[in-house]
Amino acid sequence: MQPFIDQIISECEILQGLPLWFSYLIFQLIFCGIIFVFVAVFAMLAGYAERRVAGRIQSRIGPNRVGPQGILQSLADGIKVFLKEDIIPTHADHILFRLAPYFIFIGMFLSFVAIPFSSQWVIADLDIGIFYLLAVESLVVIGIVMSGWASNNKWSLLGGMRSAAQIVSYEVPVALTILLVVMYSGTMSIQGIIMAQGAAPWNWNIFQTPFLFVAFFPLFMGSLAEGNRMPFDMPEAESELVSGYNTEYSGFRFVIFFFAEFSNLYLIGALATVLFFGGWQAGPLPDFVNGLLGIETPLSAAIVKNLVELCVFMFKSLCLVFIVIQLRWTLPRVRVDQLMNICWKYLVPVAFFNLVVMGIWMVVVPEYVTDIVALCMTACGVLLLGYFFYRVAWQLKNTKARLRFNPLS
Amino acid sequence: MTESNQPEKVFKTEEMVLNMGPQHPSTHGVLRFELTTDGEVMTKAVPDIGYLHRGIEKLAETVGYVGFMPYTDRIDYVSAMTANQGYAMAVEKLAGIEVTRRAELLRCTASELNRISSHLVGVGSFGLDMGASTPFVHALRERETINDLLESLCGARLTYNYVRIGGVSHDLPTGFIDKAMVFLNHFEPIVGELNRLLSDNKIFIERLANIGVISKEDAINYGLVGPNLRGSGVKFDVRRDEPYSVYPELDFNIPVGLGKAGTLGDCFDRYYVRVEEMRESAKIVRQCLLKLKDLPEGDIMGKVPRKIKPPKGEVLVKVESSRGEMAYWIVSDGSDNPLRLHCRTGSFTSMGIIEKLSRGMMIADLVALIGSFDIVAPEVDR
Amino acid sequence: MRERHPRSVNFEIPRYILFMTYFSNIKTAVSTVFEGMTITFSHLLREPMTIQYPDRTPLPVKDTLPPRYRGFLCVRPEICTACTLCQKTCPIDCIVIEHSKDEELKQRVMTRFDIDMAKCMFCGLCTEQCSTGAIYFTNEFEASTSNIKDLVFKFIKQGEKVIPYKIPRKKKPAAAAAETQAAAKEKKE
Repeated sequence: MQPFIDQIISECEILQGLPLWFSYLIFQLIFCGIIFVFVAVFAMLAGYAERRVAGRIQSRIGPNRVGPQGILQSLADGIKVFLKEDIIPTHADHILFRLAPYFIFIGMFLSFVAIPFSSQWVIADLDIGIFYLLAVESLVVIGIVMSGWASNNKWSLLGGMRSAAQIVSYEVPVALTILLVVMYSGTMSIQGIIMAQGAAPWNWNIFQTPFLFVAFFPLFMGSLAEGNRMPFDMPEAESELVSGYNTEYSGFRFVIFFFAEFSNLYLIGALATVLFFGGWQAGPLPDFVNGLLGIETPLSAAIVKNLVELCVFMFKSLCLVFIVIQLRWTLPRVRVDQLMNICWKYLVPVAFFNLVVMGIWMVVVPEYVTDIVALCMTACGVLLLGYFFYRVAWQLKNTKARLRFNPLS
Repeated sequence: MTESNQPEKVFKTEEMVLNMGPQHPSTHGVLRFELTTDGEVMTKAVPDIGYLHRGIEKLAETVGYVGFMPYTDRIDYVSAMTANQGYAMAVEKLAGIEVTRRAELLRCTASELNRISSHLVGVGSFGLDMGASTPFVHALRERETINDLLESLCGARLTYNYVRIGGVSHDLPTGFIDKAMVFLNHFEPIVGELNRLLSDNKIFIERLANIGVISKEDAINYGLVGPNLRGSGVKFDVRRDEPYSVYPELDFNIPVGLGKAGTLGDCFDRYYVRVEEMRESAKIVRQCLLKLKDLPEGDIMGKVPRKIKPPKGEVLVKVESSRGEMAYWIVSDGSDNPLRLHCRTGSFTSMGIIEKLSRGMMIADLVALIGSFDIVAPEVDR
Repeated sequence: MRERHPRSVNFEIPRYILFMTYFSNIKTAVSTVFEGMTITFSHLLREPMTIQYPDRTPLPVKDTLPPRYRGFLCVRPEICTACTLCQKTCPIDCIVIEHSKDEELKQRVMTRFDIDMAKCMFCGLCTEQCSTGAIYFTNEFEASTSNIKDLVFKFIKQGEKVIPYKIPRKKKPAAAAAETQAAAKEKKE
């Protein structure tokens, strides 16, 4: 962020009169505000998009009445929830009950501080950024356990307890996988991890070696579990615990849970993008766009460059968000003991194995072999994607389905 | 007391009593379970029934033989046609009324279509209990077509009241056979898709395999019926073993549980029996429709006296409803109201074994168990 | 002592089988999830089934219902014979018919024909009993109202007297139908 602010200050004469710390403060606050708005808008739009996607998956249409194509549906729902009576159960632990949503929200929001949206647009490029992300996300579990306990409801308590066990366990495979990426990239800075990759798919971490490819799944499943997303949504488990830890919440506090859930949805995508899919790396694309627009001043060139990178980052992370949404509407829920089995018997050993083998690989295998393997892996990835769409076509043919490609109807 | 028992003395733990229901998404209606749990693991789950008791059996004693027919719809609203049919058959046997062949074929077609739709609800909502919401909506989408068909046949989508004492209320509407054939052709690949989406799913299988295992002996001793009994490997089906209507001339299999996923008689077997039964029912509907096509137009009502007054006596008639054997017991005193009517339903019998099975289960397993019995709460209480 | 969890009974299974099931578990899990994903993705390209009731349907839903649809009951009092068979056959007594000998007209008249639609369970037994088709089902089904008393349909207005229809004997059916139509027309005008 600092180079970008420096650039703005050097271009703008009014700011040069102010003390440097003051303009830094102003800009950081502005960017924090932008992130805050982004989180809010994303939560709203993701809620809407999820319902539309779910609708089409289930042969329905989804919300399409409020605003053009129902895009304001989440807003309408939000207003409705705001207007609800704010109920705190009589025998609830009042202090904890009020406090819990803030823990959850702070945990989610602090993570966004370290997410790099482009080469320069990141609130804080910490040297231990990835470590910070892991640490901050764990705040959420405190909030969930708190809300489950404070509600004075047995079902909520069960939800809170499940979530504590789940999130704490799944930190392990996630941390191990992140360790693997850190080892491969040689840095704990998030920007550093992205710089170590490239714009082309064969430069992405995921296609570097088979082990990194396999390592993606513990990370992805782990972050699904930490975000309480579908195959692992134990704490909420609609058909078992009805709504789990947030059963007793209403009004604004419930909205905070909702926001936290959907901002976490974005974090899942962003984390995977940063670690495995090359982050904002756009290659020659920014220069090309700059040339196309004929921009010469360094500040606007920098802005355009950052914008292009932002788009690339958003595209990648939103693709992953889409996969997360689709998974939710595809899979049944695992049982709580199976959840632990998956973590400790499958993900952790796989993550450990990857870590060790990758370490050996880095020492033993020469670089040109890694390059060839990366190309082969990319080809495999493309083939896998092709096979996916072949199966999709087969499913359509098998059931002689009537098609409609327009996503909005 | 050994040393190892010491911590248990110091940290005294209690069991937690949890109320599951009467309003709970996975109790399939107004039904309550009292769970005694130790964390997630239950030591006991006691079903508490009676929240939906409407006194239907008592009502029969005042509304007369003809007037009771719409009430049978409400006994099991997911599979109303078989309930209709069972009651009509009981009164016909009591009063000695003959039913024409066309009416029998129509009854058979309608109740098998209804069986498909009922199993679709059962299978779909079972998926919903397991957390997969998409198969549920896909199943209901297919059910909608069946509802449309039955609506064009009898005018209602849920409480059909189609079967009459001595026949049925309407003949086939024009174009029914073609529409039904189109549906059946479309339906069979959809069952395959449902299997690929849900039944083959590893998570789904893991949730169900070896859960709620009922042995053959237990299934018989506890009086389980229908798919729940067949899931335990007992090949008993009223349609085949005590045949009624036109079933003897039809060609269909009785699917039984095979222990495909784990143990014989677990939740997956009961679930899969229903999936297979949908295919068999589709086969039966196809045969019935072909027979109806060949049959010349004819009476759909037999000779029924203007006032139905059966002679003194009692009768027990069984039909295979979607939830298993459904028995009507009618006592007549010669007047135009039955002296006593009782119906024995599949969901009710399956409540008995839950307490036995629930020991050592997790809460999520109980949800699977209830779902695998395909309980419809009004049928439990009547 | 706490009882052991029934599922945690340990069987003696050879090590290598456990090892194989470990990988086959992973394989089936991955392949079935992949298969499920292809199915849900293929549904994104399929036609939705939603009928956007009430305002975005090609036809009003009322008009798409089959002719046998059992909606609200309706009565044509002009062809009602006041036989009260429908009243007698109704299992929940939601039909009320009052008829008495009128002193002025020197004959039987109907003074009341109410159907309580809030009670009605749409079973259709009444329409089957009717010999003239005076009571029949319509395709109307939208019954929401703020007052439940609105659902008591009065087919004979307060104070009105309707002379019951007499089925003409030994007439050809066609003539009877013509007469019925004429009566209906007269009533309309």
